Amino acid sequence: MNQAVISCLHANLPAVEAVLKDIELQGITNITCLGDLVGYGPQPNEVIELIKEKKIATCQGCWDEDVVDGLDACDCSYPSQIAERRGHFAHQWTTGKLTKENKDFLANLPYSIRKDKCLFVHGSPNSQHEYLLPDMDAFAALERVENAKAEILFCGHTHQPYIRELANGSIAVKVKNSGSKDIQKKEMNLPMRRIVNAGSVGEPRHGGTKATYVVYNDITNDVKIREVEYDIELTCKAIINAGLPPIFAWRLKNGFEFAERAEDASHVCER
Amino acid sequence: MIERWALISGLKGDLDTYELIQKDLKKTPGNITLFVLGDMIGPEKNCNKLLHRLINPKSNDLQPWCIYGWWEEQILLESGYRGNQRAEALRINKGEEVVKSLINAVDKSFLDWIAALQFGFVELDCGLIHGSSKDVGDDLTLDTPPLTLLDRLTRLQVNRLFTARSTQQFHLELTEGILNSEVHDLTGNHKKEQKVPQKAVIGVGAGKNYTLYDVGTDNTQFVRAGYQSEKKKNGFGLHF
Ligand SMILES: [Zn+2]
Ligand SMILES: [Zn+2]
Repeated sequence: MNQAVISCLHANLPAVEAVLKDIELQGITNITCLGDLVGYGPQPNEVIELIKEKKIATCQGCWDEDVVDGLDACDCSYPSQIAERRGHFAHQWTTGKLTKENKDFLANLPYSIRKDKCLFVHGSPNSQHEYLLPDMDAFAALERVENAKAEILFCGHTHQPYIRELANGSIAVKVKNSGSKDIQKKEMNLPMRRIVNAGSVGEPRHGGTKATYVVYNDITNDVKIREVEYDIELTCKAIINAGLPPIFAWRLKNGFEFAERAEDASHVCER
Repeated sequence: MIERWALISGLKGDLDTYELIQKDLKKTPGNITLFVLGDMIGPEKNCNKLLHRLINPKSNDLQPWCIYGWWEEQILLESGYRGNQRAEALRINKGEEVVKSLINAVDKSFLDWIAALQFGFVELDCGLIHGSSKDVGDDLTLDTPPLTLLDRLTRLQVNRLFTARSTQQFHLELTEGILNSEVHDLTGNHKKEQKVPQKAVIGVGAGKNYTLYDVGTDNTQFVRAGYQSEKKKNGFGLHF
């Protein structure tokens, strides 16, 4: 059966509505959301209420966590000080806008959701703030899936959708200096695992302007990346009217890839 | 002169063992650098004398290069050096008594020195750390899945990781590794074959058990403090 996985909605209501419509048109009713309901965008309460209304199973994203905990996103995940200041401003703005009920909703979201062989997380099984970028060290990527005891790991947070298959792996080890005369050697085969990044509904960073999400068929194991057009102008106007940094609107309109993301894929926020 | 590292950990306030090791190292040939990979303190003994000695080495002591370990992290947590967090994991696992003993074992005047210690050292292509760069309490052993070991090496971007948390002594080489990665994104398919260069994880031991590492030959020697005198007794020779 087909199921949809969405992530990083970022308070962009027109994008969320368009994606949910696209999912509905395919007759898909099973939807999982990987968090970041808020942040950057102008409609945090509206997006949370829509997710609640549709009863979509959701994990807590990095923004959801930070807004609730009153912490600012880890500065090490910003590429520049200006970006950091903008990010902090958006945090304050969002915190000020959110109703108590919606803050509670974000606070109570789970870190992960497990369905059979699938694990759904925002960043990585280690942290909502860890980026699993598509070119991350293959062994380290496999370790994330293996350690989480999953066969397919669904994540978001990078805002770049991709499907990564890690296969035909092996590692050989040798115990040196064990005190015994025979050299102990071992070779083991690594299991085939997949990482699926759902991209971003409300703040795409794949180089285009369309909202992205993925459709997974749990019978054929097939994963498809979907791109959906939405009324970008509407969101951009709302960003400006809300007094949020205009660069957030400019980025959506031009589909520029650069944004607040860590340079180092293995980086984990130590905060 | 041969470049050699001495790696010790888990002294937990035991000045006698530290002195024994210093004595050993004086008789060990080579140009030796002494690294203390954390757990200088612990709840069992008063640690003030050892801390004083580490901070103010005697004139004929090898200068110790210290990083903090799991027990240092616990005292820093409990003493409010980590914001609102306290040493809850310790409290739950070992009880309130142990938390109190730890606090009593270390004079408050040492806390700033402990708080200023580094998390680890990177020397040449080696990482020296108490647990791993993932966590100071990361318990790496011979039985840790190689994929996990590889991840810990990757995080630090080193070829050799010296770790102390498990208290075990081992030298595990990852001799070979291969993994195929295929990424499908909106621009198409990207295939890559990744190989692992030779890497190693070394458990340095704790207390009287410590490790000598020969930088030039990449050989480890697992030693028990006082071995020089034991050597005479049982005729067991050490070959460098
Ligand atoms: Zn996001
Ligand atoms: Zn995120």
